[in-house]
Amino acid sequence: MTGSVAELFFLAFFGLAAIWFGIVVFRTHSMVRSALALLFSQTAIGAMFLVMQAEFLGVLQIMMMATEMSVMALFMVMFMMDPGGMGAMDMSHQKRLSLRAGGVGLLAALAVSWLPDWGPAAINIPSAARQTELLGIELLGRSMFIFESAGLTILTSMIAATMVAIAPRKSGVTHDC
Amino acid sequence: MNIVIILLTLAMGVYFIAIVEGWAVHGRISLSRPALSALALFGRESLLVRTPDRLFFEAGPILLLVVGLLAMAVIPLAPGLIITDLATGALFLNAALAYVLVALIMAGWGPNGGYAMIGGWRFLGQFIAYAMLIVMPITAVAMRAESLSTTVIVTSQAQLWNVFYQPIGFVLFVLAAMALAWLPPLDLPNAPGDLAGGFEAEYTGVRLAVLRLARMVIILAMAGAIVTFYLGGWLGPWLPGWLWSIIKMLIVTTAMLTTGRLVPRVREANLLAAGWKLGIPLALANIFLVGVIALVVDI
Repeated sequence: MTGSVAELFFLAFFGLAAIWFGIVVFRTHSMVRSALALLFSQTAIGAMFLVMQAEFLGVLQIMMMATEMSVMALFMVMFMMDPGGMGAMDMSHQKRLSLRAGGVGLLAALAVSWLPDWGPAAINIPSAARQTELLGIELLGRSMFIFESAGLTILTSMIAATMVAIAPRKSGVTHDC
Repeated sequence: MNIVIILLTLAMGVYFIAIVEGWAVHGRISLSRPALSALALFGRESLLVRTPDRLFFEAGPILLLVVGLLAMAVIPLAPGLIITDLATGALFLNAALAYVLVALIMAGWGPNGGYAMIGGWRFLGQFIAYAMLIVMPITAVAMRAESLSTTVIVTSQAQLWNVFYQPIGFVLFVLAAMALAWLPPLDLPNAPGDLAGGFEAEYTGVRLAVLRLARMVIILAMAGAIVTFYLGGWLGPWLPGWLWSIIKMLIVTTAMLTTGRLVPRVREANLLAAGWKLGIPLALANIFLVGVIALVVDI
């Protein structure tokens, strides 16, 4: 009983931390702060996985988000006109539309959490090693096509983005500046 | 008790690193120099630059130290002598090391200085060049051990150490570890020659002491990872396991700290080209080879 109370406490703590960092993303004017706030929001979700004893998923989430959000910070600094936030740039745009979209998203999330029949909670949680094995079998089994197609799509997007970013070279003109 | 022993070992290891680095830089071995340098740093004023991002400026060095300690938590010194033997230990090490990048971005962005910012962004820019060379060789190591647990990875090398089983992975991992710990000739984020200290440039006093301490912990964690993944961890004849681990870690640390200084600093573009065009294909080939060997030979 004590264990489950502690689990619930930490789950709520990291959940609130994730929401708070999510709010900070839009409250700050600095691009780097915004990106890293999103990173720590995702890290808090990873910690929630760990509290729920999904070790592999938790560690993976914490690892992946560090790199992804850092790269995002780089792009935000490159492409935004006021990366340091010294000019008090507003992070929120199209407020009315955003509020509506947020409201719809919230309702959808609540519906997904309440409406389906989730079945009884697992009493005996598999060991962390077994969870990793089961996840591997899932990824290389029935979910393989989805993940492979997603991977290929991301790879194609990355190559396309790189191609778009490279300035076309004209013969006889150098770009050493 | 394990935690106390490992933290003591860590403290001694860090001091050893400071001595060896002093020897590599100044050419003389001095047992007292690290202590005196630390005292001097504590005695100096810890300056705060004008209009910093104060949160990042303060949090960067501390996050770096925490990350190093977390990475050390899954390095086994002997059977049972480990802070936490996670079933996903190798992945956890990766996750912890990913935050070295975050800490350096914070430390680079925080001071609001040109050199510091370039140092932090440079580390991010070269990230894929070395991060893939950490993740992919670890994948091959875990494939052989059929586990992500660092203790199982050590015991899987009972017949043959991974340095002989997968030498390509070993070479790639060591180079990537040196890049991750920004050791010469891959010390690009703080390159004294062209960046005047890079992300370290604006740190002074206690803050600089924390930053340097954190870097030493990272170096030791990387040496521990190399020993665990490739040099058989605590395995060895005659001596007790923990002593073997320490001896191997100290040898690896010394090699990492000294040999790199014999060659000139690698240019960033060259590091990126080598990492992307040579390192990643070699790491993929290593995974393939290890897979074939694991299927064909039972060692």
